[in-house]
Amino acid sequence: MLLLAVLASAFYLVHTQYESRRLYTAIDRAQAQARKLESEHEQLQVQKRAQATPARVQQLATRQLEMRPVTPGITQYVNLPEAPAAVPAAGGPR
Amino acid sequence: MSRSINYTSSPLLASKTPVWRSKFIVACLALAFAGLAGRAAYVQVFGNEFFQRQGEVRFARTLELPANRGKVLDRNGLILASSVVAQSIWAIPEDVEKNDPKLRELARLLEMPLAELRKRLADEDRTFVWIKRQVDEPVARQIAALGIKGIHQRREYKRQYPEGEAAAHVVGFTNVEDRGQEGVELAFNQQLAGKNGSRRVIKDRLGRVVEDVRDVVPPVDGPDLQLSIDSKVQFFAYQKLKDAVHTHKARAGSVIVVDTVTGEVLALANYPSYNPNRRQNLTGEQLRNRVLTDSFEPGSTMKPFIATLALEKGLVRPETPINTAPGRITIGGSTISDTHPHDVLTVAEVIQKSSNVGTVKMAMQMSPREMWEIYAQAGFGQKPQVPFPGAVSGRLRPYKSWRPIEQATMSYGYGLSTSLFQLAHAYTVFARDGELIPLTLMRSEVPATGVRVFSEKNAIAVRQMLAMATGPGGTAPKAQTMGYSVGGKTGTARKQEGKGYAERKYRSFFVGLAPVEKPRIVVAVMVDEPNNGTYYGGLVAAPVFSETVQQTLRILGVQPDMNVKPQIVTEVVEESF
Repeated sequence: MLLLAVLASAFYLVHTQYESRRLYTAIDRAQAQARKLESEHEQLQVQKRAQATPARVQQLATRQLEMRPVTPGITQYVNLPEAPAAVPAAGGPR
Repeated sequence: MSRSINYTSSPLLASKTPVWRSKFIVACLALAFAGLAGRAAYVQVFGNEFFQRQGEVRFARTLELPANRGKVLDRNGLILASSVVAQSIWAIPEDVEKNDPKLRELARLLEMPLAELRKRLADEDRTFVWIKRQVDEPVARQIAALGIKGIHQRREYKRQYPEGEAAAHVVGFTNVEDRGQEGVELAFNQQLAGKNGSRRVIKDRLGRVVEDVRDVVPPVDGPDLQLSIDSKVQFFAYQKLKDAVHTHKARAGSVIVVDTVTGEVLALANYPSYNPNRRQNLTGEQLRNRVLTDSFEPGSTMKPFIATLALEKGLVRPETPINTAPGRITIGGSTISDTHPHDVLTVAEVIQKSSNVGTVKMAMQMSPREMWEIYAQAGFGQKPQVPFPGAVSGRLRPYKSWRPIEQATMSYGYGLSTSLFQLAHAYTVFARDGELIPLTLMRSEVPATGVRVFSEKNAIAVRQMLAMATGPGGTAPKAQTMGYSVGGKTGTARKQEGKGYAERKYRSFFVGLAPVEKPRIVVAVMVDEPNNGTYYGGLVAAPVFSETVQQTLRILGVQPDMNVKPQIVTEVVEESF
């Protein structure tokens, strides 16, 4: 009787050990996947930044959109209707 | 019928077996069991350690957990440098089939001549050969898809610099082993690198990790480093500088922008520069961070310090007249002259028109020690407190060894040397009403606390003189910028070559601040050997200052303090009678 109990327990132990190793492998694989995704995310962040550097933006703006750098000389001042002053107020640039 | 054989007494069985035989068998079996028990005891108890070790050697592996190198960010959190995964291709030459047609394809993917590839694979004695390191991920995937025998990949990190050449000198770069070589990458290498971790695991026959043997030592990633640099300001400053260097056919140029509230360096650029992502055929010219590593004679940019000292000592007041005619003065047998002779000038006009004679006349009323002290307090001749590789301290000789002529020339910036960084640093004195503030390359929120060098009243008075220098009748009307008041000082210094000064080789500077009433930034510009006709600081360096100030103040959101003349011009129809 006792022998049977010992045997059952031993088999169960072996099974648990196997199961735990299997799960451990799975978790390890998942972690590796997470790391990979993280590094991919990092890579995409860098690529995104590289696409949005001032140098590139300016180049595209001047070449494709035919824009030019702003100067305060082409600032348009707006007067608020409450105070229709003759002198241009120091309003925010538009 | 009777049987001839009696079953109970078979003649075969009747053979007399000796008893010792069975005993012998039993003894053998017992011995075998004893042997097994002994062996078991040996394995489990006496030799246990040895077997455990052998088992570990076969199945336990120590895995290195590499720490990620910290990112370098600008003040707004934009990426200046970051590590991304890149695969390195390596080979076991013996395993590679030399006539594999896929090798041609591999060479094409690696952008490498086939002959070169074959040469690397030629030495069959070696068991490990790098083919190419840090290949981009998509290319690596294609190579893996080729499935050439003997060609393997290894995961490595590669540093990427999205900002490219504009920020190259500040950020620096790392080598193929991910160690800092230049700039911030070198200065903060230890901090950025982090600490690798490790784990000891048991792998099964298929190479899968099945168990951790002991506690995992987690890797400590390098913390991100946030610089004071604003990538937009940096880019604009770099671009304007580059344009100026090209326009004036100069050898090189540098620019630095400092926030006078916090002491942060908003931009620090040099030209020629390089792209840190592609570093083939780099020259020292390109690599040098001139703002910090080059020292030169600052020329007229020193004059405001003499004027302030004269005011402090009560020798003069801003409106005190000084006779600078006939544009020459002789001291100890040497003659100092003005490029453009003037008559009687006030102290303010001496600075405005940058008169050597006027400055020397003020300086000769002071003791060398007083001058030396003020220069030293403004940071000249002292190593800047920035953790940057190769920052120079410039040269300011002890006052005891000054001869009178040297004292005279030092008043207008010859006979001592400084870096552009130090010059910009020193000018924070005028921007901060007489206080010198420490500069930093790291982002900082708190306003900087300064050390008082001049009294508030005199610093403001000299700031007005600097504003006059950019006004009508000054040396640098080109420093003016739309919408903001500016003040600053030009400098044009002849370059030293060997023992004397070179003919027609100049450095042009402009150091200034804006807006004048409540300065927010100090900008220093240096153009080395302008070679296209003009070489005065007011013509070469001042326009760079003007454009940089314009862009920077707008990016910082500083409200214009001057009225702007609209540029929107409508067609004017001539009035008819």
